[in-house]
Amino acid sequence: MLKNTHMKNPEIALVFNGVWSHYSFAMSPKYSSFYQLVYVHDLPATDLSAFKSVVIPFQSNHAVLGSCRKQLYDFLAGGGKLFVEGDSSATWLDAVWEDRPVNNYWWVTHPDQPPVTATDFTHPVYQGLMPRHACWHTHGAYTRVPDHARILQRNSAGEIITWETDAYGGTLLATTLDPIVEHGVQQITHLDHYVDRLTAWLCGAQPEGAFAIDEADYGRSWN
Amino acid sequence: MHEPLKAAVIHNGIEGLDGLYPDSAFMVYNRISVAYPVQLDISQYDVLIVPNGSDHVFMECIKDTVEAFLAAGGVLCCFDGWFTPWVPGNRWVMDNSRRTIDVRYKVVSDPYGFMKGIDIDGLNFSNGISGWWACGYIQPAAEAIVVLEDTWHRPLLIVDEHSTNGTMILSASAPLSDSTYATTDDDASMQAVAGIYRNIVEFMHAKKYAYEKS
Repeated sequence: MLKNTHMKNPEIALVFNGVWSHYSFAMSPKYSSFYQLVYVHDLPATDLSAFKSVVIPFQSNHAVLGSCRKQLYDFLAGGGKLFVEGDSSATWLDAVWEDRPVNNYWWVTHPDQPPVTATDFTHPVYQGLMPRHACWHTHGAYTRVPDHARILQRNSAGEIITWETDAYGGTLLATTLDPIVEHGVQQITHLDHYVDRLTAWLCGAQPEGAFAIDEADYGRSWN
Repeated sequence: MHEPLKAAVIHNGIEGLDGLYPDSAFMVYNRISVAYPVQLDISQYDVLIVPNGSDHVFMECIKDTVEAFLAAGGVLCCFDGWFTPWVPGNRWVMDNSRRTIDVRYKVVSDPYGFMKGIDIDGLNFSNGISGWWACGYIQPAAEAIVVLEDTWHRPLLIVDEHSTNGTMILSASAPLSDSTYATTDDDASMQAVAGIYRNIVEFMHAKKYAYEKS
């Protein structure tokens, strides 16, 4: 029904809720050869086996994703990687996410008190990152995660921010950070560090260069 | 007091949207969930609200419905970046060539009082960072009124009463609602953002009943 025909065989499916930050991120020449927008309402009809990884960004439609639960776990069972950022829903994820106030100004008022206080920098996504590059702000926390999950990041209250599990076949990585949406918004200037490491982890190749925007992509028909 | 306006809010299932548009004496809201196949009738509403974080693939699918709604005199409020071409006569463009830290919001023209009682520094600053989150800019229709612009004179909030028979109130992805968006907990910013929205609601309410009376 609806599809983005502008991409060239990227290996990462970015589940797309029609939100402009998802679009601006995937359309940026830096990332467009890595990420394929898959409109969330087209997801049930999409063959995910064509992709190495699936990304579910913040501001997704978790009601629709709940109806795709089997498809997502079949993808994991086939050895794929699934990355979930921001909020999530227990309708399809065996975890409980709760909202919390967003502190996006800590770096001005309390630069020595970042929202994340513990990070496992041995994880491939976090290797080589400065602490500030590993957290800009968080959107809530996980109050329950699967028993088999490894915890990668916690906030100062000890709550879970980022976790990972291999128990479903492939690797499921979930975080309440929002690298894809914030990078699409382009108001935090240092996110290339995190997103490029994440992209390399998702598909094995690392993007290079600066995030550019082509004005011609705006006002253009999706159909 | 006249009856409240009836508003439809497009809802694509994102977290945090519920609660941003509480009923008031001026406006009552219904959620319109994004779903396919599209079976949508918005003709009974006075106002169509497309909030921050909306689905613009869906909006392009209902472009004809929106045009018919405007042709019948409806009011469209889009407080998001419409990257697909569904808004008649006006275009939103994303841009990252300017630094957020350098953005200052400025009033250009305010014939309808959107900025009445608003401390614009509540938009400029929140806890030492930006107090609002406009992104990119609008390329407006020739006769649209530019209410707010940025440091580089790029339109960020406009009113267009000429491109269609209805009214379009458009922001460059700057969130506006009767509550605050979760990007700030600074009281000055909360008051400014909610204050602009309430002024817009009062304008829409007054315009409808002035029109019916005439």
